[in-house]
Amino acid sequence: MANDREVLRLIWEGRLPVCFQLNSEEVCGLHTPDPFYLMVPRLSYFPLVTDKIRKHFVQYIHSDKQDSEMWLDFSGMALKWHYPIGVLYDLYSADIQLPWTITVHFDKFPEEELIHCQSREAVESYFMSCIKEADVLKHRSQVVSNMQKKDHNQLWLGLQNDKFDQFWAVNRKLMEVPGDDSFKYIPFRCYRGEEPFLQRLIKPLTEEGQRKTLLNLIEEVYPNEKVRVTTHGIEPPMDTPLQWMSEHLSYPDNFLHLCIQA
Amino acid sequence: MADNKELETQEEVNSETQSLAATEEAVTKPTNKQKIDIFLKATGNAPIMKIKKWAVPPERTIGKIIEFMRKYLHLDSKESLFLYINQAFAPSPDQTVRNLYDCYGTDGKLVLHYCKSPAWG
Repeated sequence: MANDREVLRLIWEGRLPVCFQLNSEEVCGLHTPDPFYLMVPRLSYFPLVTDKIRKHFVQYIHSDKQDSEMWLDFSGMALKWHYPIGVLYDLYSADIQLPWTITVHFDKFPEEELIHCQSREAVESYFMSCIKEADVLKHRSQVVSNMQKKDHNQLWLGLQNDKFDQFWAVNRKLMEVPGDDSFKYIPFRCYRGEEPFLQRLIKPLTEEGQRKTLLNLIEEVYPNEKVRVTTHGIEPPMDTPLQWMSEHLSYPDNFLHLCIQA
Repeated sequence: MADNKELETQEEVNSETQSLAATEEAVTKPTNKQKIDIFLKATGNAPIMKIKKWAVPPERTIGKIIEFMRKYLHLDSKESLFLYINQAFAPSPDQTVRNLYDCYGTDGKLVLHYCKSPAWG
């Protein structure tokens, strides 16, 4: 793991310029608020970076709505707060010009499309569940369940406060491969358009003990299809070993998030 | 209770004989249309469901299953309900039964533990 640490840092430092605009139908009064520009970390989640956005826009909307849950859309598509920001960007990147213009809403929460997020605690419990699930796949849950509460907190605070060293001091334990040189299974999710994401059980090694590659994964998940794979805004070569990808290109939730295009 | 009709009842099975122990057993892959058996096990103070085994469409989400269980168990809006896989993590509400069965199904079914207060997650 340690030898390609530079990759981890580069991935961590990925940022996207976003232009937030208040939904024009919700503007109450004569003045339309200025858009709000922000550089947001690809690895974070929108509710962790949008406190300022709420503060900026809330004074321009109807007073009845000022305590409502804020939600975001891009080009008519509600943005799922529980997907990392970089995953949302990669999903819609074909239609996005930078800065990424996102519309802010306080009204008409799309119940069918989004999960409610009333507080940061909702993000925290979702994030920790993902970490636990990933560890079930990698180590049969043995690493995460042997950690202390303070380690769990450190992972969360590292992500929330954008502290690479704080996060990786604990996350390296989740990336360890004791004894054999690979995880049991590779935690990953594949996203394609508006379809529900796909998750399958895939080992990092073949029956013969050879390292499986990204191409092997795609062949197992999408047999007989030729597809392109994007993650963190790049298209990793198809011969990249899955074990290496899992250790270096996973999001902080310990999953690989792969956006699939035909 | 539209969901109630869609979830088809199957013959109840004895939970004691089908334990979680057989994690390494091969899982039969469902075809796209074939329903998946889920097995709902109460934990802690949770009320027991009279029918524990249900066949659900593979694209059904965890959120919809929680919604159905809340009605079935007559929980009021203040009561919480938590679902867990492998007694280890809470799946996301938008996660599908198909994904979970493929990754965590054992013995031809997906076991979900439920409780009214956070247990493992």
